[in-house]
Amino acid sequence: MQSIINLQTLDQQIDQLLNSRALSEYEIKTLCEKVKEILIKEDNVVTVRSPVTVCGDIHGQFPDLLELFRIAGSCPDTNFLFLGDYVDRGLYSIETVTTMVALKARYPNRITLLRGNHESRQITTVYGFYDECIQKYGSANVWNYFTELFDFLPIGALIDQEIFCIHGGLSPALKTIDQLKKLDRFQEIPNEGLMCDLMWSDPDDRNGWGISPRGAGFTFGKDNTNNFHKANGLTLTARAHQLVMEGFNLCHDGKVVTLFSAPNYCMRCGNKGAIMEVDDQMTKRFLQFETSPETATAIISDEPPEYFL
Amino acid sequence: MADSKEGIDPIQVLTDELKNEDVQLRLNSLRQISTIAQAIGQERTRNELVPFLAEATDDEDEVLLVLAEELGNLIEFVGGSEYAHKILQPLQNLASVEETVVREKCVESIVKIARELEEEQIQDYLHPLLKTLSEGEWFTSRSSACGLFAVTYQSVDDKSKAELRKTFAKLCGDETPMVRRAAAQNLASFVPHIELEFLVSEFVPLFTKLSKDEQDNVRLFAVDNCVSLAKVFQTEDETLTHVLPVFKATISDKSWRVRYMASEKFCQFCESLGPELTKQHLVESFVDLLKDYEAEIRTSATLKIAEFCSRIRIFREVIIEKIMPVIKELRNDISDHVKAALASSVTALAPVIGKDDSVKFLVPLYLDLLKEDIPEVKINIVSKLDSVTQVIGIEVLASSILPAIVELTDDRQWRVRMSMIEFIPSLAIQLGVEFFDEKLVELCRTWLMDSVYKIREIAAKNLKRLTESFGTEWFQSTMMPKVVDLLKHKNYLFRQIAMYTFTTLAPELGTEFLTKSVLPEITKLKTDSVANVKMFLAKTLQSLIPYLEENTIQTDVKSCLSELSKSDDNDVKSYANQALSKCS
Repeated sequence: MQSIINLQTLDQQIDQLLNSRALSEYEIKTLCEKVKEILIKEDNVVTVRSPVTVCGDIHGQFPDLLELFRIAGSCPDTNFLFLGDYVDRGLYSIETVTTMVALKARYPNRITLLRGNHESRQITTVYGFYDECIQKYGSANVWNYFTELFDFLPIGALIDQEIFCIHGGLSPALKTIDQLKKLDRFQEIPNEGLMCDLMWSDPDDRNGWGISPRGAGFTFGKDNTNNFHKANGLTLTARAHQLVMEGFNLCHDGKVVTLFSAPNYCMRCGNKGAIMEVDDQMTKRFLQFETSPETATAIISDEPPEYFL
Repeated sequence: MADSKEGIDPIQVLTDELKNEDVQLRLNSLRQISTIAQAIGQERTRNELVPFLAEATDDEDEVLLVLAEELGNLIEFVGGSEYAHKILQPLQNLASVEETVVREKCVESIVKIARELEEEQIQDYLHPLLKTLSEGEWFTSRSSACGLFAVTYQSVDDKSKAELRKTFAKLCGDETPMVRRAAAQNLASFVPHIELEFLVSEFVPLFTKLSKDEQDNVRLFAVDNCVSLAKVFQTEDETLTHVLPVFKATISDKSWRVRYMASEKFCQFCESLGPELTKQHLVESFVDLLKDYEAEIRTSATLKIAEFCSRIRIFREVIIEKIMPVIKELRNDISDHVKAALASSVTALAPVIGKDDSVKFLVPLYLDLLKEDIPEVKINIVSKLDSVTQVIGIEVLASSILPAIVELTDDRQWRVRMSMIEFIPSLAIQLGVEFFDEKLVELCRTWLMDSVYKIREIAAKNLKRLTESFGTEWFQSTMMPKVVDLLKHKNYLFRQIAMYTFTTLAPELGTEFLTKSVLPEITKLKTDSVANVKMFLAKTLQSLIPYLEENTIQTDVKSCLSELSKSDDNDVKSYANQALSKCS
């Protein structure tokens, strides 16, 4: 009986969120506790079965998340795998991350949430999520609940043993996916090392490992991708982390795909968003979308907050 | 003063609370003023609370804003209209604060109170208040004064009236632009109260002068004032001599804000002039606005095309000769906003100019605009085609525009596709099933398999609309095989939409068909490899229960659901159990 009531509350909360009304501080606290219990049981690299729709960075662009659901269908009818970076930069980080977390609480098997480099205390204090929490809830409590929850998010996912999903990319310290099982992920993202690389690295046209201009993680070449795929029996690495104008971009001979699901990033980049539908036969299809008309009509303040790009 | 027998005195509490450092607390306690007033009674409200509030004007703007609003709500608590003038004192103090929003709210409250006052009270209390404000040293009180003339003037004696007109004239020439702006802003509501004899002699000069002010935010109000004066003047002559030149000047004003205002209010002005004068004097001006070099103004004027033409609809040749050529130019405007505005304007224009001219001038334009690359343009055309159809007739539409629309059903912009797809069923229903033949069935199938979920959903709903009109047999013979095929599609999302189609159509399909033909097909999905499909099957069965034969529910449906309820997927299990509970 208890669980039925819980489901009803969750359904109601999800409904409220999808109608763009935020939850109370207390509701968020309860929700985060519940989802921690779910996430603590998930492996560092979650095993995901096709069919699933893979999505890249959202960055607080809530109206565009709603657009994404209009394109892809909604949870639980469609399975989702999000590659991280739910918060910061956009105007609605709270609405975005609360919706994700509520969906995870309601349908733990239908949606997988990975950790991005922005799911961290350090980054969110600089790029907007912290300020938004203060502005919308008057205290840092909500920010505390969420950033504590972020420590529980899994790092990667493996679809049908062949598509490796990660927010950033590969690391010189990573040879096999098995290696990741031993990692203690329940912590703030460190400034260096394996866990940091996985969330910060980018693919590059040059072969071999390179120094990342971001100051964290590495750049990795086609050779690194090939070696990693060979060692782990992979066909594709799906990652997010970088703005790509078409919303998706294939590199390393089609072995690495970048997905970016925040169209017209920061309301100025003019890029498309895209998601990757992997169907029951492992056929991949990319769906592109443009920014939601609601974003265009939202009131844009004259002075953007300073974390805007 | 505190009544010790009753414990704490409410006014004392309020005094203390208003000294609190927390702004939120001060705001909350001000919101309680009516309650306090009710508690202490009318007499103490008049004699203690109001004078106390009159002193409380040294606070933050947001607190003062609430105070200004709440004072306006106190009338009944000071003893009704008889004593309402007592509240004027604190409002007078607030009328000179620096923050505009507070002053505006304050003037609003004074006007609200003034409407309750007897003529004598206005003469005795409001008139002196207005006088004091208008002689204020600081511009703030003088701007507030401008908002009070209309409500005061009608209730005072002739001597005071003369005085008020003089004062207003003085404010119109005030050295501070803010005051002149307030005077210009309030002129429109003041003139209806002025006796005709003074209108031309005293007010026309003021109005003309303000319309030539050096500040564009003063000139801005010339447009409103034109509309107001044109209504007040009884003869055409007066309007043409005194108002029209000013209105025309706003259209060529060097400030775009003034021209924008003129465009926004253009049709209102035409209304007060009537069709004949509009035709004679304003067609050129309207064309000027349509050709303005600012895109915002062209957009605004373009949106007014249909309304403007409807005002002069009796002069067909003017519309065709003067307006149509400009419409053709706007079609190639450099601004997307203008084109989008044009698209919605020209669809609204069809009922105004009638069938023959629409077919001749507008239909080619629609076809042309449908080729535009801007989604809004296409959507604006199609979303209003229903009203166009009523004018030009379904046959013309089918032979001319329909092919273009069918083509757009695979536009790369999903919102464009959606608006076309939503439009086609209503067309199909009007044209009859034979018209589309196989083509419609093929289109419906394609829409169900669109890559965008929302379109698939609309496609299912379209099938419902079509089946409602064409009958169940149409669905059974033409669509059913296609939907059954879709149940076997390799993509799980399409298998789901096929089930969704049956849910949507259930009321039309009837118990026998659902039980004999649909149910056996969908229950095959109980062994689907994808959990979402099984979950969706459970949901579908649950929604079909009211439409199925009771026997079948107890046998086939139940057995299918209990099989699903044994799934190792929690979601499938829970939806199956939920559906099972509805079976008995």
